[in-house]
Amino acid sequence: MSAPVDVMSMRDALYEEPGPHTLRRIRIFTGVSLVLVAALVGLVIHRFCVTGQLDPKYWSFFLKGTTWAFLGRGFLGTIGVAVTAGVLALLLGMVFMFGRISTHRPLAMVSRVVIDFFRGIPSLLLIYFFFLVLPQYGVKMTSFWMICLPVTLTASGVIAEVLRAGVNAVPKGQWEAAYSLGMRRTRILLKIVLPQAMRIVIPSLISQLVVVVKDTTLGYVVSYPDMLQNARVLITNYDALVSVYFVIAIIYILVNYAINELSVRLARQSGTRVIGRTNENPV
Amino acid sequence: MTDTAQTPVIQLKDVNKHYGPLHVLKDINLTVDKGEVLVIIGPSGSGKSTLCRTINRLETIDSGQILIEGRPLPQEGKALAEVRAEIGMVFQSFNLFAHRTILDNVTMGPVEVLKTPKQQAQDEALVLLDRVGVKEQAAKVPAQLSGGQQQRVAIARSLAMHPKAMLFDEPTSALDPEMINEVLDVMVGLARDGMTMVVVTHEMGFARRVADRVVFMADGAIIEEGAPEEFFTHPKTKRAQEFLDSIKGH
Repeated sequence: MSAPVDVMSMRDALYEEPGPHTLRRIRIFTGVSLVLVAALVGLVIHRFCVTGQLDPKYWSFFLKGTTWAFLGRGFLGTIGVAVTAGVLALLLGMVFMFGRISTHRPLAMVSRVVIDFFRGIPSLLLIYFFFLVLPQYGVKMTSFWMICLPVTLTASGVIAEVLRAGVNAVPKGQWEAAYSLGMRRTRILLKIVLPQAMRIVIPSLISQLVVVVKDTTLGYVVSYPDMLQNARVLITNYDALVSVYFVIAIIYILVNYAINELSVRLARQSGTRVIGRTNENPV
Repeated sequence: MTDTAQTPVIQLKDVNKHYGPLHVLKDINLTVDKGEVLVIIGPSGSGKSTLCRTINRLETIDSGQILIEGRPLPQEGKALAEVRAEIGMVFQSFNLFAHRTILDNVTMGPVEVLKTPKQQAQDEALVLLDRVGVKEQAAKVPAQLSGGQQQRVAIARSLAMHPKAMLFDEPTSALDPEMINEVLDVMVGLARDGMTMVVVTHEMGFARRVADRVVFMADGAIIEEGAPEEFFTHPKTKRAQEFLDSIKGH
């Protein structure tokens, strides 16, 4: 009735079970695309060979512990900013969302402007502001905060809107039932609506965390030693552009893949708690 | 002090409401006395649900007056919340709090609004859940229950607030046929115990059996009201006769 839709049943609803004709077409397309992908990969490898990118001198330093220790420090730097910015953005986004849905008109208006501002402004622009403008007015901070705060602010605008969408997605009947018990708006929001909204928006919130992780790479602007920054140092030291970028691209992809997996798992878990096993409906 | 035995629990005076150009409530005058069971019937779109929902201000009105125990229904804030706490409401779609257990659903009102200690609220909730026959489900979440069970929990949730009156907005309309009676039985029990009730329903059998008074609405106006037996056997208006004819043979 009011529970969020299960991931699987949503997929079933979106895609009709294919018939024999469609099945054959799907098989043909799958075959063709496999061939194309294989050809592309082959071409890339071929070009690498021709241009000498597979030469051991470009890859052998990955066998050294120091390389990984150095990249590892950068990795921790990236995670440090991502986690800090992620948590702060969630808190700030929550505050902005409360302002935005406030019944106090001026507060709602101001919140809306603030949200739209941070949602619309590129992170890089804010980073320049923290890096170049603020110090002129005597506001000094470490490179960690110069990357962390801009990323936090831009993410918080989006998160505020995501949370608001979640609050709006909670059925009106939940509000009415709580109102009819004599509960007041703020209590209803905190006790009834927000817990359900969070379950609905967990996947979107996690996707936003992926954006935060990617935004941390802008840390190079303020010389913050994140993974990309340290990768650059490696590139200069070993004169190995392609191999280093290749390796850290894979690390970024793995990190974000892990975050996405986490989101699917969380969504499924909270989903079952809300939906229960509706199919085993007791009489 | 006014004599509460004579002051109607609910009173509507010349209530009007519009949705844009649509006049959904037309000069509604209605009183519900203490212990009375008032059943509102009528074709869909007649405004009977809207009428029911104005009584605890889930719907606002454009003009007229609503009095609860002789006092005007407050328009907002703490005063409104206090009146709402004294009037139970049961919805067509149950509206149980989807993320909380059955027990939590019933204790939510007492704990949050009446500031009843949690343990005491739980003890009372279990008694109420037992009364509506779903005590065994106390630890489950709403989605694990059948519609009929959910609606009985919703009734228990309202009762936990010790309401002075209860509003039922088509409580059985969303239920599978085999579950309607288990909910109606609970409502009959409440009526027998002297609960003041306003019931919007399509269940004519229930209306006939339990109502003290039947109100027939069409096109936003009260067309006819009277004792159930009289209304169902000898409706005074043509409109009511047509309505009764149209639902006969079911």
